[in-house]
Amino acid sequence: MIATLSHTARYGMAMMLALLATLLLVGPAQAQSSFGSGDTPNISAAFEVESEAPKPGETVTVALTMSPAPTWHGYWINPGDAGIPATLDWTLPAGVSVGELQYPVPDTLIIGGIMNFIYEEDYALLLPLTLDKSIAPGTVLPLSVKAEWLACTDEICVPEQDELSFTITAGAGAVSDEARARFDGWRSRLPAPLGSEASYAVSGETIRVSIPFPADSAAEEPYFFPLTDGVIDYSAPQKAMRNGDTLVIETAARSTGGVPLEGVLRIGAHQGLSLTAQDAGEAAFGALGEGATAMDDGSGSALAAGGTTTFFLAFGGAIIGGLLLNIFPCVFPILSLKAISLAKAGGDEGEARSHAVAYTAGIVLFCLALGGAMLALRAFGAEIGWGFQLQDPRIIFVLLILFTAIAFNLAGLFEVGNITIGNDLAAKGGSKGAFWTGALAALVATPCSAPFMATAMGAAIVLPPLAGLLIFVGLGLGLALPFLLLGFVPPLRKMLPRPGPWMDSFRRIMSVPMFFSVLALAWLLGQQTGNSGLIIGLAAALTFALFLWWVGRRQQQGAERSWLPAAPALATAAAAMLVLPVAAGGVAEASAESSSETLASTAFSETKLASLRAEGRPVFAYFTADWCITCKANEAAAVQREATANAFANANVAVLKGDWTRRDAEITRYLEEHGRSGVPLYVYYAPGGEAKILPQVLTVDTLTSLVS
Amino acid sequence: MLKQTLIATAIVGATLGSYALIAPSQAAVQTGAEARGFMLTNADGERVSLRDYRGKTVVLEWHNPGCPFVQKHYNSGNMQKTQAAAKADGVVWLTINSGAAGKQGDLTAAEAKAMIADQDFNASHYLFDRDGRVGKAYGAKTTPHMYIIDSSGKLVYQGGIDDKPTANQADIAGARNHVTEALKEIKAGKAVSVASSRPYGCSVKYAS
Repeated sequence: MIATLSHTARYGMAMMLALLATLLLVGPAQAQSSFGSGDTPNISAAFEVESEAPKPGETVTVALTMSPAPTWHGYWINPGDAGIPATLDWTLPAGVSVGELQYPVPDTLIIGGIMNFIYEEDYALLLPLTLDKSIAPGTVLPLSVKAEWLACTDEICVPEQDELSFTITAGAGAVSDEARARFDGWRSRLPAPLGSEASYAVSGETIRVSIPFPADSAAEEPYFFPLTDGVIDYSAPQKAMRNGDTLVIETAARSTGGVPLEGVLRIGAHQGLSLTAQDAGEAAFGALGEGATAMDDGSGSALAAGGTTTFFLAFGGAIIGGLLLNIFPCVFPILSLKAISLAKAGGDEGEARSHAVAYTAGIVLFCLALGGAMLALRAFGAEIGWGFQLQDPRIIFVLLILFTAIAFNLAGLFEVGNITIGNDLAAKGGSKGAFWTGALAALVATPCSAPFMATAMGAAIVLPPLAGLLIFVGLGLGLALPFLLLGFVPPLRKMLPRPGPWMDSFRRIMSVPMFFSVLALAWLLGQQTGNSGLIIGLAAALTFALFLWWVGRRQQQGAERSWLPAAPALATAAAAMLVLPVAAGGVAEASAESSSETLASTAFSETKLASLRAEGRPVFAYFTADWCITCKANEAAAVQREATANAFANANVAVLKGDWTRRDAEITRYLEEHGRSGVPLYVYYAPGGEAKILPQVLTVDTLTSLVS
Repeated sequence: MLKQTLIATAIVGATLGSYALIAPSQAAVQTGAEARGFMLTNADGERVSLRDYRGKTVVLEWHNPGCPFVQKHYNSGNMQKTQAAAKADGVVWLTINSGAAGKQGDLTAAEAKAMIADQDFNASHYLFDRDGRVGKAYGAKTTPHMYIIDSSGKLVYQGGIDDKPTANQADIAGARNHVTEALKEIKAGKAVSVASSRPYGCSVKYAS
């Protein structure tokens, strides 16, 4: 490809000659042409054609790459409240045509209350360029384009424009690896077609957009960028909610609806889904939001104007939630034991109060630390739930060992001194011990309350950081409240059973829920690390218990330094933790996937497909994405079925699965070659046969009839 | 345990439900609704109230001299021509600058007067709205952003000056000037056929 520049009439000819000379020397290796603007533009633009010699009869991608200078930004196709998108005015020879500009997923920028949909980093607008098949290879085709775009900072805007003329030479369509990689990078930032229809409803000044989105698929900072103007108030904050297999965006409306609403849903950094939502009518408004739970909102300010009543409701909810945690099996034994030690204090008011306060402080500070850590993690964009510390199997392991020790302690295997909790810090007498028991209670409350508290945590996360932290404080206060009451309201304490021999029996009984907690933790550990991790955990727990038994024996015998066997116990546990499979997410996902897939598959690649076909094996290839609800439905209804798996196994069908969740470039090309812009796609290759594209909606019969 | 879980879920649900009650407030004026009154200071330091022009058709034009989209219509003479035609028909034209102090387009009264003379403005008044209160009340987003208020005080048009959203003067010739067309229809006693359009231009440089 030869590229020439002609900025304006004055410099045009001279620059063209200069550039021609340069290109003759350099050769066609660099197929990139920059606009020759006299001044340095605030957004420099350049054109690049993916193939240096596009093939007649085929479509090649052209990129308009835009590089904003620091503090400058360019605009999305819908610029928002202000600004304008880039325009291209082409002059093309016969037989050459260009398609629509494709825009990557933009960012939001609010300036003085006015929303802008923009790009601040380098970005590329792509467009398809098609050569008619009547064009003979070797034909030199002159193209020219006048491009206009708006470059803005927070303060000022500058319209920039330029004209570029270049030639392309029809050829064999070869694409260099470097160009392919560069274009694939740009393509991965384009929105993917959602593939199923969304709906929306307007009620008063509020609009809800309901988007099919699988419950188990992650969406980071979801935000709906509208393409259709006038339906949504751009500058209003958006609130994202999840409800099973739908994601609901709620924001301010600008009209009463009635028109299809097109837009792009952001589901991650530079990741988006293009979709169209139909007006479901005002009557559907309630149903669209029903049961939806709030998640992180895009702008983080949805609740800034939320008023204090909302906050107090959430705060009150958190306190009551924390209170309820007290009767959960893994917290109750600790509370009871604190009550026992209080009873042991024998009515000393001062000590009871200081115990209660220390216990409360321990819980609240732990909750605060947890909340702070969670909010910090959230700032890094990590996808976390309330029980996020449990996502690391090493934490589970430590809890498993700890709980085993507590359970055996409660059962009377060994003693820890005054306060009967198997934790060194909690074991410290007086207020210090109470403080650590409080912290332990909160830590212990996390695993068994995770599913129950997840929704409340969602609410806490929506709030600004300070309010979010206060929600955590509320949780802690609620958790501490019963003990606090015992400490400060003597009549209540009088209702406590008097100390006596029953305490020992009670303590033994309390070991039962603790052992159940151990079981639950073992199950969790198994889920995360598989069978070998579970065995390592159980073996470590058993060894630990045996050493503790030894401790108990020494204590009974009144041996000096009866705690000596605890050292090898801790050492074994630490060693076991080191050999524990730690790739938490990966292991968990892999094991979950292999066990849930009735029809086993291997990852799709062109080479794999080619080699299987060369072997003469029948091949079934299916293309799916985590966010694709149609794909999930087809997989559940037809692909992952016993009948399908058996039929395919009998016919020795090789199954390839293409996961397009992250817009894998190789899969994108395969989809395009088969006339699709998105998933799902189901293709069957009979031995020696060509690709047979199967319908979008599959049944078991469709699949089994392929091989019968 | 199940019972407690249900109670807790209900509490959490109620908490979350309260979030749904929060609807962000909207400042924009609906077409067909009563236009909001305002009082601003003009380039001569006089107070100008919308109420002074009750019974007349009033055009509001949001202005920022540094904005290339505004320059497109002033350097070409298009805006002055539109203003002159309106003036000839007895229409009041209020040009409003909502740029905050220190932001692009912020002018002193003297600078504004020089600009008005230099660029042959035909507006009735050049008004300052540095705190952006009037701009926000009308939902002015861009410069230019045009509003027409009829003689009964109702907002009958809001949107762009024309239908070619570019900064290129060459595009004015082929564009439909929404303000000119609406004023013609109002003069003829007809309803405004294009009562709203998408405004285009730079964002109004509000303080916050």
